[in-house]
Amino acid sequence: MELVKIIGIAFISVILIIILKQYKPEFAIYVSIISGILILSLCFTQLEVVVNLLNSIYEKTGINGEFLKILLKITGIAFLTEFGVSICKDSGEAAIASKVDIAGKITIIAISIPIISSLLETVMKILP
Amino acid sequence: MDINLLFKIAAIGILVAVLHQVLVRAGREDQAMMTTLAGLVIVLTMVIKEISTLFDTVRTIFNL
Repeated sequence: MELVKIIGIAFISVILIIILKQYKPEFAIYVSIISGILILSLCFTQLEVVVNLLNSIYEKTGINGEFLKILLKITGIAFLTEFGVSICKDSGEAAIASKVDIAGKITIIAISIPIISSLLETVMKILP
Repeated sequence: MDINLLFKIAAIGILVAVLHQVLVRAGREDQAMMTTLAGLVIVLTMVIKEISTLFDTVRTIFNL
Protein backbone atom coordinates (compact mmCIF):
# COMPACT_ATOMS: atom_id res chain seq x y z
CA MET A 1 0.00 0.00 0.00
CA GLU A 2 2.83 2.35 0.88
CA LEU A 3 4.52 1.76 -2.46
CA VAL A 4 1.41 2.75 -4.41
CA LYS A 5 1.29 6.04 -2.55
CA ILE A 6 4.95 6.69 -3.26
CA ILE A 7 4.56 5.98 -6.97
CA GLY A 8 1.52 8.23 -7.09
CA ILE A 9 3.40 11.07 -5.47
CA ALA A 10 6.29 10.58 -7.89
CA PHE A 11 4.02 10.79 -10.94
CA ILE A 12 2.18 13.85 -9.66
CA SER A 13 5.41 15.69 -8.93
CA VAL A 14 6.83 14.79 -12.34
CA ILE A 15 3.78 16.28 -14.04
CA LEU A 16 3.96 19.39 -11.85
CA ILE A 17 7.64 19.78 -12.68
CA ILE A 18 6.96 19.55 -16.41
CA ILE A 19 4.31 22.27 -16.11
CA LEU A 20 6.51 24.51 -14.01
CA LYS A 21 9.63 24.02 -16.09
CA GLN A 22 8.24 25.97 -19.01
CA TYR A 23 7.43 29.09 -17.01
CA LYS A 24 9.60 29.14 -13.89
CA PRO A 25 12.41 26.51 -13.74
CA GLU A 26 13.35 27.56 -10.18
CA PHE A 27 10.07 26.22 -8.80
CA ALA A 28 10.61 22.92 -10.61
CA ILE A 29 13.67 22.28 -8.44
CA TYR A 30 11.65 23.11 -5.32
CA VAL A 31 8.93 20.63 -6.30
CA SER A 32 11.53 17.91 -6.92
CA ILE A 33 13.16 18.54 -3.54
CA ILE A 34 9.85 18.45 -1.72
CA SER A 35 8.69 15.28 -3.45
CA GLY A 36 12.04 13.66 -2.62
CA ILE A 37 11.61 14.56 1.05
CA LEU A 38 8.01 13.36 1.03
CA ILE A 39 8.88 9.97 -0.44
CA LEU A 40 11.82 9.52 1.95
CA SER A 41 9.74 10.35 4.99
CA LEU A 42 7.10 7.86 3.86
CA CYS A 43 9.62 5.02 3.72
CA PHE A 44 11.30 6.03 7.00
CA THR A 45 8.74 4.15 9.08
CA GLN A 46 9.82 0.80 7.64
CA LEU A 47 13.45 1.85 7.95
CA GLU A 48 12.96 2.54 11.67
CA VAL A 49 11.64 -0.99 12.21
CA VAL A 50 14.73 -2.45 10.53
CA VAL A 51 17.11 -0.32 12.58
CA ASN A 52 15.39 -1.24 15.85
CA LEU A 53 15.59 -4.93 14.89
CA LEU A 54 19.31 -4.57 14.19
CA ASN A 55 19.85 -2.86 17.53
CA SER A 56 18.01 -5.55 19.45
CA ILE A 57 19.90 -8.36 17.68
CA TYR A 58 23.17 -6.66 18.49
CA GLU A 59 22.28 -6.28 22.16
CA LYS A 60 21.35 -9.97 22.39
CA THR A 61 24.59 -11.25 20.86
CA GLY A 62 26.70 -9.04 23.09
CA ILE A 63 29.17 -8.02 20.40
CA ASN A 64 30.14 -4.47 21.27
CA GLY A 65 27.47 -2.25 19.71
CA GLU A 66 30.02 0.41 18.92
CA PHE A 67 30.61 -1.00 15.42
CA LEU A 68 26.89 -1.09 14.71
CA LYS A 69 26.66 2.58 15.70
CA ILE A 70 29.41 3.44 13.24
CA LEU A 71 27.77 1.34 10.52
CA LEU A 72 24.46 3.11 11.06
CA LYS A 73 26.20 6.48 10.95
CA ILE A 74 27.86 5.56 7.67
CA THR A 75 24.52 4.52 6.19
CA GLY A 76 22.95 7.77 7.31
CA ILE A 77 25.75 9.83 5.80
CA ALA A 78 25.60 7.90 2.53
CA PHE A 79 21.84 8.39 2.55
CA LEU A 80 22.04 12.17 2.90
CA THR A 81 24.95 12.53 0.50
CA GLU A 82 23.04 10.64 -2.17
CA PHE A 83 20.06 12.93 -1.57
CA GLY A 84 22.18 16.05 -2.11
CA VAL A 85 24.05 14.63 -5.08
CA SER A 86 20.90 13.64 -6.95
CA ILE A 87 19.27 17.06 -6.39
CA CYS A 88 22.39 18.84 -7.66
CA LYS A 89 22.62 16.55 -10.68
CA ASP A 90 18.96 17.11 -11.48
CA SER A 91 19.44 20.84 -11.61
CA GLY A 92 22.39 20.38 -13.97
CA GLU A 93 25.19 21.18 -11.52
CA ALA A 94 27.37 18.07 -11.91
CA ALA A 95 30.42 19.85 -10.47
CA ILE A 96 28.71 20.65 -7.17
CA ALA A 97 27.29 17.12 -7.10
CA SER A 98 30.76 15.59 -7.34
CA LYS A 99 32.04 17.91 -4.58
CA VAL A 100 29.23 16.80 -2.28
CA ASP A 101 30.02 13.21 -3.19
CA ILE A 102 33.70 13.64 -2.28
CA ALA A 103 32.77 15.35 0.99
CA GLY A 104 30.48 12.45 1.89
CA LYS A 105 33.19 9.89 1.19
CA ILE A 106 35.69 11.82 3.30
CA THR A 107 33.31 11.99 6.27
CA ILE A 108 32.61 8.27 5.96
CA ILE A 109 36.31 7.45 5.99
CA ALA A 110 36.86 9.81 8.92
CA ILE A 111 34.12 8.08 10.91
CA SER A 112 35.29 4.57 10.12
CA ILE A 113 38.82 5.11 11.51
CA PRO A 114 38.09 3.23 14.80
CA ILE A 115 36.96 0.19 12.83
CA ILE A 116 40.12 0.16 10.74
CA SER A 117 42.36 0.52 13.79
CA SER A 118 40.63 -2.28 15.69
CA LEU A 119 40.87 -4.47 12.57
CA LEU A 120 44.62 -3.86 12.47
CA GLU A 121 44.92 -4.75 16.14
CA THR A 122 43.12 -8.06 15.67
CA VAL A 123 45.33 -8.87 12.68
CA MET A 124 48.44 -8.06 14.69
CA LYS A 125 47.26 -10.39 17.46
CA ILE A 126 46.73 -13.26 15.02
CA LEU A 127 50.11 -12.91 13.35
CA PRO A 128 52.94 -14.56 15.31
CA MET B 1 3.90 17.16 5.57
CA ASP B 2 1.96 15.50 2.79
CA ILE B 3 0.84 15.88 -0.75
CA ASN B 4 -0.87 19.25 -0.42
CA LEU B 5 2.45 20.91 0.34
CA LEU B 6 3.51 19.80 -3.13
CA PHE B 7 0.37 21.32 -4.63
CA LYS B 8 0.85 24.52 -2.63
CA ILE B 9 4.35 25.02 -4.04
CA ALA B 10 3.20 24.26 -7.58
CA ALA B 11 0.33 26.74 -7.17
CA ILE B 12 2.69 29.45 -5.94
CA GLY B 13 4.97 28.75 -8.89
CA ILE B 14 2.19 29.07 -11.44
CA LEU B 15 0.81 32.17 -9.70
CA VAL B 16 4.21 33.85 -9.78
CA ALA B 17 4.64 32.95 -13.43
CA VAL B 18 1.26 34.48 -14.30
CA LEU B 19 1.95 37.58 -12.22
CA HIS B 20 5.31 37.93 -13.90
CA GLN B 21 3.72 37.82 -17.36
CA VAL B 22 0.98 40.29 -16.39
CA LEU B 23 3.43 42.78 -14.92
CA VAL B 24 5.78 42.45 -17.87
CA ARG B 25 2.90 43.12 -20.28
CA ALA B 26 1.92 46.13 -18.16
CA GLY B 27 5.38 47.50 -18.67
CA ARG B 28 6.61 47.12 -15.04
CA GLU B 29 9.55 44.77 -15.44
CA ASP B 30 11.11 45.68 -12.09
CA GLN B 31 7.94 44.86 -10.13
CA ALA B 32 7.70 41.61 -12.07
CA MET B 33 11.19 40.76 -10.89
CA MET B 34 10.19 41.67 -7.33
CA THR B 35 7.19 39.35 -7.32
CA THR B 36 9.27 36.50 -8.71
CA LEU B 37 11.89 37.01 -6.01
CA ALA B 38 9.20 37.25 -3.33
CA GLY B 39 7.62 34.00 -4.53
CA LEU B 40 11.02 32.33 -4.54
CA VAL B 41 11.79 33.43 -0.98
CA ILE B 42 8.43 32.24 0.34
CA VAL B 43 8.81 28.83 -1.21
CA LEU B 44 12.44 28.68 -0.06
CA THR B 45 11.43 29.11 3.57
CA MET B 46 8.89 26.30 3.23
CA VAL B 47 11.43 24.02 1.56
CA ILE B 48 14.07 24.74 4.18
CA LYS B 49 11.62 23.87 6.95
CA GLU B 50 10.96 20.50 5.26
CA ILE B 51 14.66 19.84 4.74
CA SER B 52 15.35 20.47 8.41
CA THR B 53 12.63 17.99 9.41
CA LEU B 54 14.21 15.44 7.05
CA PHE B 55 17.64 15.94 8.59
CA ASP B 56 16.19 15.61 12.10
CA THR B 57 14.47 12.32 11.27
CA VAL B 58 17.64 10.95 9.66
CA ARG B 59 19.64 12.04 12.71
CA THR B 60 17.28 10.34 15.11
CA ILE B 61 17.05 7.12 13.08
CA PHE B 62 20.76 6.68 12.44
CA ASN B 63 21.70 8.49 15.71
CA LEU B 64 24.25 10.50 13.79
